Amino acid sequence: MNHLSEEQIVLHYYGDAEEASEVERHLAACPECRTEFARVQSMLQQIEPLEVPEPAAGFEEKTWLNLRDRLPEKGSFLRRLLQGQQKWALAGAMAVLLAAAFLAGRFWPRPGPQIAQQPPSQVNPQRVVLVAVGDHLERSQMLLVEIMNADAKGPINFSSEQAEARELLDSNHLYRVSSQQAGDPQVARLLDQLGRVLAEVANGPADVSPEDLQQVRRTIQSEGLLFKVRVVSSEVNSRVRRPELSGGSVNQRL
Amino acid sequence: MEVTDAAVVAQVLAGDRDAFRVLVERHSRSIFRVIYRMTGNQQDAEELVQETFLRAYKSLERFELRANFSTWLYRIAVNRTLDFLSARKTHMQTKDTYQIVDNPDAEDGSQIQLPASGPGPDRLLLSAEMKQKIAGALGLLTPAERVAFTMRHMEGRSIEEISQTLNLKSSAAKNSVFRAVQKLRQQLEPYAGPVAPARSPRWGGSAAK
Repeated sequence: MNHLSEEQIVLHYYGDAEEASEVERHLAACPECRTEFARVQSMLQQIEPLEVPEPAAGFEEKTWLNLRDRLPEKGSFLRRLLQGQQKWALAGAMAVLLAAAFLAGRFWPRPGPQIAQQPPSQVNPQRVVLVAVGDHLERSQMLLVEIMNADAKGPINFSSEQAEARELLDSNHLYRVSSQQAGDPQVARLLDQLGRVLAEVANGPADVSPEDLQQVRRTIQSEGLLFKVRVVSSEVNSRVRRPELSGGSVNQRL
Repeated sequence: MEVTDAAVVAQVLAGDRDAFRVLVERHSRSIFRVIYRMTGNQQDAEELVQETFLRAYKSLERFELRANFSTWLYRIAVNRTLDFLSARKTHMQTKDTYQIVDNPDAEDGSQIQLPASGPGPDRLLLSAEMKQKIAGALGLLTPAERVAFTMRHMEGRSIEEISQTLNLKSSAAKNSVFRAVQKLRQQLEPYAGPVAPARSPRWGGSAAK
């Protein structure tokens, strides 16, 4: 008669062995296997669940407070705005002001020759938007370059890239809306594409596997996003440097 | 009447981030207990509780509202702990102080034994020291074995639950539990007293928790 295997005995202890009734019959008839089972039983009975210490009072509160600022927003833009998150409210107000100032500057009757008498330091709202979008695109470009050049041999901790993506994502939506309102569909379209990649990075796991990283890279590559960001960023910067160009939209190179 | 977990999840998904606090307050202690049993370290467990909730929040769109939130969260916690133990094991491999001895009974010839200079069997009868030996032996399991063993032996989870949580086939889950017990026996049986041959003809699943 063949004896039971160690695996059969161990699994039988937990009630997980295949053909349990045969195992039982064998044990009833075989003193050697019974002794072996008793050894397993005796050893496992000594391993009791670890005594778990109680976390300190206020553990839940501490967990929540540490967690809260790391949670990205969910739900609609409008709702987020209405919920009065301070950062959003401030950014939203700025965007509305910028867009209003830009539109006012665009459609306000031009004062003619008197313009030469205005102080040269007067703020051009459209220029303010351009400077902000230029900075935003430069930061985004740096993030995309980091993602494209990250070492993909093993899992990577992406928490700093995620934090940057979340921050960029917050402003990206506002700039996209402002660009649309300012009649710059090329920039708006680019920011739309950029927003999707930023959201993918911001909402992904903190520890990114090589496969996940490849997936993000494929998205960036398939949309030619890095190239487009570079082109538009340089176009926007040249308009910032040459104020006489800042009235129109970026050219049709994309 | 208490608001259900599913209703809170729906509220968070609708944009009320602060509602997530309710879920943290309801489940963080039980998740802490699960993670502590697997890591054996309070600080690691507290940090992993946060990581678990962060991952849950980010994946909340994938939670099916009809499912049980605590089961879903438990799976995230176990998998996050498994990742943590795997990363720690890689890190600790270069620092391992245990001796590797030639053990003819070991399947792969590389069975790890407890330090040869440790206390003798008489002293190990003391339960505190046995607990220490058990903790040491548990630390020698692979992360998957440790998690599977903790789930089966300490939490009484079924093989089906283990395989679903760890995304394993049932046979692989059983094998992880078996390998864990096999290694524990090799570490701990030398310190156990003699075992009287059992007389009862019936054994079936008596110890399954």
